[in-house]
Amino acid sequence: MKRLLPFIIILIVLAVAVGSAWYATRTTPGSTTVVNQPSPASPNQPASTARPAPLVGLPGAEPAHTLGAANAPAHIEEFGDFQCPPCGMLHPILEKMHEEFGDKLRVTFREYPLPGHNHAVAAASAAEAAGMQKKFWEMHAHIYEHQADWKNRYDVAPIFEGYAKQIGLDVERWKRDLSSEQVAQRIFLDSRRGQSMGVKGTPTAFLNGREVPFETLMAPDKLRAVIQNEINASGSR
Amino acid sequence: MKLYVTAALVSLIGLADSIYLTVEHVTGRSVRCTIVAGCSEVLSSQYAVVAGVPLALIGAAAYFSVFSLATLATFGYRAAAILLTVLVLTMFLVSLWLIYLQAFVIHAFCQFCLLSAAVTTALTVIVLFARRAARLS
Repeated sequence: MKRLLPFIIILIVLAVAVGSAWYATRTTPGSTTVVNQPSPASPNQPASTARPAPLVGLPGAEPAHTLGAANAPAHIEEFGDFQCPPCGMLHPILEKMHEEFGDKLRVTFREYPLPGHNHAVAAASAAEAAGMQKKFWEMHAHIYEHQADWKNRYDVAPIFEGYAKQIGLDVERWKRDLSSEQVAQRIFLDSRRGQSMGVKGTPTAFLNGREVPFETLMAPDKLRAVIQNEINASGSR
Repeated sequence: MKLYVTAALVSLIGLADSIYLTVEHVTGRSVRCTIVAGCSEVLSSQYAVVAGVPLALIGAAAYFSVFSLATLATFGYRAAAILLTVLVLTMFLVSLWLIYLQAFVIHAFCQFCLLSAAVTTALTVIVLFARRAARLS
């Protein structure tokens, strides 16, 4: 028995290690928080009872950059930083939700460039300046989809200028707008709104004014479920 | 022998840490970016994968090997003690390289990666003491 003991200990540790890794990859840690999300409301009861009140916060830049119908029953407001890798991962997820839910879902993007990211403000400005020519979402998509190409570069200005050309902007006007007071003000207002709503990191998103847990946000199935819940709840109201 | 028990216990911290990082990596749900840049930069960098294998998984395998060898050494297997020394010293050099990458190439530190480096450093000190004790006795 004494001779076998070390091997038994090693096998036990191996089993625990593999088991916990397997368990953690198949159940996302946020699964308990989904339970706390609004469940489909019963017909007689308004969905908003027993839920935290929606956050209002200070106003952000107006008009906000939105997709979907203005009166959509579900509204996701994302505070994002273009240089943040998980924000880049969230981009295709929200795009998919927008496609799936159509006019039932409104998606708003708010600028929240983090001080730790050296190009975050430059990227936010590039997108906002594109927004002055009604092409915010095109630039937004380009910057996120090519995040790996510019994130670690020293000089990102020529890269963003290339995107401006690709999406068909008036590049001279875009360059002037980059350093305009209006663009700076939009970024400031969005970030101040984020701070007033308690945003500490990115991406942080609010669904009808209530923060979506990070793990729910990053998992399309869970996100789809909470959005659907909001839509169902609005129908029975 | 007590030193090898300590090494085995310390390696479990490294094992848990690298399993956590592997899960983060494999599920693709990297941690949120916060006011201070950190883990998401490091874990989504090109250095987080070696030949298609997540570096964290290699780390988990390494810590598991350390645990196994330290356990065997505790029970008097001399060859295990020698292998353990070689493995831990290699891991120490790899950790130095990874800290260099975080500081000068990626320009972001990841606290879970730093914890791994700390664990490896502790293991290095323990193993070197154990070798010295073995030589003296």
